[in-house]
Amino acid sequence: MSRTGKLLLIAVPVVAGAAVAARRRRVPGAGEQRRRHVVTVFRPLAELQAEPLPGSLKEIADDVEITLSAAPGGRGTEIAVRIPEGSSVSSGDVRRALRETRSLIEVGDVLLPYGPPTTVPTLLNRPLQTATRHGREGGLL
Amino acid sequence: MKALQWQGVNKLAVGEVPDPELRNPGDMIVKVGKTVTCGSDLHLLGGYIPFMEKGDVLGHEFLGEVVEVGPDVHKHRVGDRVVVSSFIACGSCWYCDQKLFSLCDNGNTNPAITETLWGHAPGGCFGYSHAMGGNAGSHAEYVRVPFADVGAFAVPDEVSDERALFASDSASTGWMGADLGGVKPGDVVAVWGAGAVGQMAARAAVLLGADRVIVIDRLDNRLQQVEKFIGAETLNYERTDVSGELRERSGGRGPDVCIEAVGMEAHSPGPQFAFDQLKQQLRLQTDRPTAVRDAIHACRKGGSVFVLGVYAGFVDKFPLGALMNKGLTVRGAQMHGQRYIPMLLERMAAGELTTEHLATHVMPLDQAPEGYRIFKEKEDGCVRAVFTP
Ligand SMILES: NC(=O)c1ccc[n+]([C@@H]2O[C@H](COP(=O)([O-])OP(=O)(O)OC[C@H]3O[C@@H](n4cnc5c(N)ncnc54)[C@H](O)[C@@H]3O)[C@@H](O)[C@H]2O)c1
Ligand SMILES: [Zn+2]
Ligand SMILES: [Zn+2]
Repeated sequence: MSRTGKLLLIAVPVVAGAAVAARRRRVPGAGEQRRRHVVTVFRPLAELQAEPLPGSLKEIADDVEITLSAAPGGRGTEIAVRIPEGSSVSSGDVRRALRETRSLIEVGDVLLPYGPPTTVPTLLNRPLQTATRHGREGGLL
Repeated sequence: MKALQWQGVNKLAVGEVPDPELRNPGDMIVKVGKTVTCGSDLHLLGGYIPFMEKGDVLGHEFLGEVVEVGPDVHKHRVGDRVVVSSFIACGSCWYCDQKLFSLCDNGNTNPAITETLWGHAPGGCFGYSHAMGGNAGSHAEYVRVPFADVGAFAVPDEVSDERALFASDSASTGWMGADLGGVKPGDVVAVWGAGAVGQMAARAAVLLGADRVIVIDRLDNRLQQVEKFIGAETLNYERTDVSGELRERSGGRGPDVCIEAVGMEAHSPGPQFAFDQLKQQLRLQTDRPTAVRDAIHACRKGGSVFVLGVYAGFVDKFPLGALMNKGLTVRGAQMHGQRYIPMLLERMAAGELTTEHLATHVMPLDQAPEGYRIFKEKEDGCVRAVFTP
């Protein structure tokens, strides 16, 4: 078997297994875009309420509903975002905004990928390169 | 600059890549002095962790000299000799606050991959695939160190490069296994794997006051190192009935703490090995869990098993019945280096923790592909190959 074939054979079951696991948890109506996304930020509620939320969450704030509530056990503040019917904002936009905003609040900065890149695009790594270009938009958040 | 690049499954080459740049104000650039092979790299090399791109720079256990600092770096200055944690953590999120640094919420620029795979994303790591952030690794002349104030530590003058280097990954990983596995004075501790990680876990168990520490492997040269440098007992699983021996050496109870430092490419002497290898090759299971199975079986009732070996996906024949009925605690983690490195450097300075013997092969970076071949084949008594860029 070629090396390429071998790598694909490896990648497929790891990712497919995770997809199966994720699918099992889904309720009927799967495939629809999720409308609610929540993240916990390790800062007290009062601190977050004192100033407008920073970063890309501010940019989409007019098109979504944002609720702040204290997380239990001193874990900080839960930032919940609901995408209303008809909003132009996507789940990917919200995930990225929540992750970037959490980092801005906790660290004061958002980690940028390594650069300049040392990799070269190939047929094999094109899907991975596409995924990492949108690294903060995907996932389950 | 020169760097060791992954070119495809089992294909490595030294090539020219652009010098790294400061990207965030908390970054610094380190000129790599020494950088070393790790068992974890073998899983990448063999394609078992399928998130590598052609050209990725490997390496995550390293030490070097600071050559450039971002405006938010306050702990380090140009010229400092530093050792750096292999996992990248922000130091400010809830997980970092809990000292669970490898679970950092802000250290991985590609959280989507592992979140989809595992439900939640751990932090980033140097040279450890795009699932762990796609950070270029340390097998290069220079490396970018993000969150430098959190992940890099000045090396005390009295600790040599050869010793401090291993605080970066193997010593902190081993210490974590003994610490979070709950090793206490009076315990019997068994460690599977006599690589650098297993040896460091065994040494940690000795220093934490364990009564007996027993390391299991089949490579005699590694077991000899354990007896000579670690001060622990050994068992060769090709020549002894490990389960019977462990039972006997623990008064019939079984070890209180079992630390697995083998990982997903485990070897085993019985027919089960052929079965596991075949299933892994057919991709019906992604990982071979031989040592974890043995550890769960050997562990005393109510004891604890700590999985240090790296696993990526799914395993077959996991002994859930033994785990449940014996009331075991099973834990695992990627290393929380930031939690242990300062203490390890102190112990290294005091001579309690020595690591020089792990560096069995030292060579220039140009020879790194050959270094990995020797390390992978465990040829010529190789425990770790150290590169000097
Ligand atoms: N948790 C972490 O953060 C972390 C950090 C570093 C390394 N690791 C992992 O720890 C593991 C060990 O790393 P290393 O650098 O010491 O690797 P290594 O390859 O040098 O050593 C592994 C050892 O395990 C032995 N072995 C194989 N099958 C065995 C079995 N069934 N029973 C007992 N011993 C067996 C091998 O002979 C070898 O000596 C790897 O999986 C690595 O990925 C984890
Ligand atoms: Zn490692
Ligand atoms: Zn963090």
